Amino acid sequence: MSIARMAWHVAGVAAAIGGALALREGSVHPWAIPRKSGDAQVRLSWSARPERVEQCRRLSDAELAELPPHMRLRLQCEGVFARYLLTVRVDSSGIASDTIRGGGLRHDRPIRLFREIGVPSGQRRVKVEVARLDSTSAAGDTTEDHDTPGDTLLGFRAGREADERQRRAREAMPARLVLDTLISLAPGHVLLVAYDETARRLTGRMARSVP
Amino acid sequence: MRAIERLARNSLRAADAAATRFYGWRYNPLHQTGTIAVALLIVLIVTGLYLLVFYRVSEPWESVQRLAADPWLGRWIRSLHRFASDAMVVAVVVHVLRMFAQERSWGPRALAWVSGVVLFLFVFVSGWTGFVMVWDTFGARLAIVGARLFDALPILSEPVQRVFSGERPIPSAFFFVNLFLHIAIPLSVGAGLWIHVSRLARPTLLPPKPLGVAVISGLLVLSVVFPAPLPPEADPFVIPEGVPVDWFFAFWLPWVEALPISIAWAGAVATLALAAAVPLFTRRAREGAHAPSVVDPRLCTGCNQCPQDCPWHAITMVPRDDDRPTLVALVDPALCVSCGICAGSCAPMGVGPPGRTGRDQLQQVRGFDFAIPAIRRRAPVVAITCAQLPATHVHALEEAGAPIHMVSCSGNLHTSAVEQFLRDGAAGVIVFSCAPRDCRGREGPKWLLQRMYHDREAELQPRVDRRRVRLATAAPGNLAGTLAEFRTFADSVEALGIQDLQPDSEDLVCEPQPVVASKRRAWR
Repeated sequence: MSIARMAWHVAGVAAAIGGALALREGSVHPWAIPRKSGDAQVRLSWSARPERVEQCRRLSDAELAELPPHMRLRLQCEGVFARYLLTVRVDSSGIASDTIRGGGLRHDRPIRLFREIGVPSGQRRVKVEVARLDSTSAAGDTTEDHDTPGDTLLGFRAGREADERQRRAREAMPARLVLDTLISLAPGHVLLVAYDETARRLTGRMARSVP
Repeated sequence: MRAIERLARNSLRAADAAATRFYGWRYNPLHQTGTIAVALLIVLIVTGLYLLVFYRVSEPWESVQRLAADPWLGRWIRSLHRFASDAMVVAVVVHVLRMFAQERSWGPRALAWVSGVVLFLFVFVSGWTGFVMVWDTFGARLAIVGARLFDALPILSEPVQRVFSGERPIPSAFFFVNLFLHIAIPLSVGAGLWIHVSRLARPTLLPPKPLGVAVISGLLVLSVVFPAPLPPEADPFVIPEGVPVDWFFAFWLPWVEALPISIAWAGAVATLALAAAVPLFTRRAREGAHAPSVVDPRLCTGCNQCPQDCPWHAITMVPRDDDRPTLVALVDPALCVSCGICAGSCAPMGVGPPGRTGRDQLQQVRGFDFAIPAIRRRAPVVAITCAQLPATHVHALEEAGAPIHMVSCSGNLHTSAVEQFLRDGAAGVIVFSCAPRDCRGREGPKWLLQRMYHDREAELQPRVDRRRVRLATAAPGNLAGTLAEFRTFADSVEALGIQDLQPDSEDLVCEPQPVVASKRRAWR
């Protein structure tokens, strides 16, 4: 083997070593994650049912008689699900404001919220507020049907509807939710704002719970 | 597109030349990128099986940490798994560029191209699931960005990003699905490989043993000496300043972070569509150098050699239309890549691309001008070169005194043309082919070797003195080797003296058989 050929082979071994090191470097080379607006973050993440805004009307006996027997119900209600105004303020300056509503084409699914908002690190007063935009005060009669005797079919249905309405109301978000907290956000730290279904309030969490 | 192809070809040639100088043409890794990718897939499966035993979906990061802390096996097997996957991406990228530069992306090769694009996507998805499985800061970042991309699509009503928000622990089911995909996708890559090579008669799936061993050993040494670090466990409440990114799989991460999601999606879809549509942009008219082979049924003896030699399954034997008792070859133009290897396989010269059949070659040889401007030998040594050889090699051979005869592929060369050169006064014939693994016709050098020295059908006749014939390889980057080969052969031929083959002492060409009710069959 000539010296020139051997030199090429040595160069080949060097190239292979260089390639292997480049492979490793390309495999683990660090990347600084860009922080768009602020080096800390408020993350809103929850799922909750919106309140239903209903208008109910009491049917007359004649109207009831026109309905098929299986559809007869004294109190007939129609409505939509409420919209809410979400506002986020940091140190009394508003950094986000948005109207939120239930999912699905008819907006009858739960509100599923996920927002990440960059904020500057440091001692911050963070206020997250969700307020219902639509009024639930109905123009029509929304009172429960207490006139119909409970031991009749109509009464049984009326009772079941009332239970269902109450259950929905219990599950729905309250008309106003507020989380107002003073926290110390370190760079890169996240304040998670979630909705506690049991307590029906907003909660804030960081690596350690926000008091 | 032609300009891009030319640029890619020139770049590839320069890289090929360097790699040939480094490792020789036999072990040039750039000629073996496809097979190296398959070898690395096998490494990934084997190392992945080991890692699977220790991985826990209930405590993903902790289980990987235990592996990474094991200095005997776990650490380097995990690193080998990681580096092999990166090397596989590199191998596939070079393979894609190679196929593009060598115009091997259109026509009958379009299936291999498109399936290759899909396979490449599978490799990426499999890689991403693998990183997410670890649930370190990089894996979490990939998952979050991936979820953000998903959430931009109107598919799921619930934002996927909420899974990683920190509201509640990430369910084991998420890691189980990842694990499932990480196993299922490589298996589907295996199945996809079958489609990828389905048009090939004899696909080569593994690199030469020394090269395969060298590549895997190199990665193994790298894994032992510089094992892949394990980044910290992902914390949903902390955004790390930086993460160690695997750029081979996540080169797009900064763009997706910086661009609006719609533009990121549009870019990804456009890139994928463009990659899949390359066969449309690179296709050529099926005429001239790209015309498919045709069979002259009057000459076909039904010997069944051309279907065996065709690297593309483009030829079948079918019943004849006339009363001769044999079958006749039939070329499917949709499968024929016009390599011309069938022309070299047919003793009676009844098949081949128009203008490149054995008969056409004999015509060209008979009209060949032996005059050489630079050096005049009394009985020159003719160099037959593959058209794909670098021009520098051809010019250097000319300057060394060789009359040049060019064929589209060394496998296209009919051995009778070699004999004819010797009859017409050449002292010797040396055929320069591409490196066997770099042959665009796939099997040109292999079949020519068999025909010249091992009596494969359409063989070089025994009356031809084998000392006056040589088959050599001319690879970019090895010009000195090409010239040395030529000079050594020329000297050895000169020492032999004058040959005893007389011009046209025997017929080299079969006469066509009369055909009753001849009718050229069209492929349906």
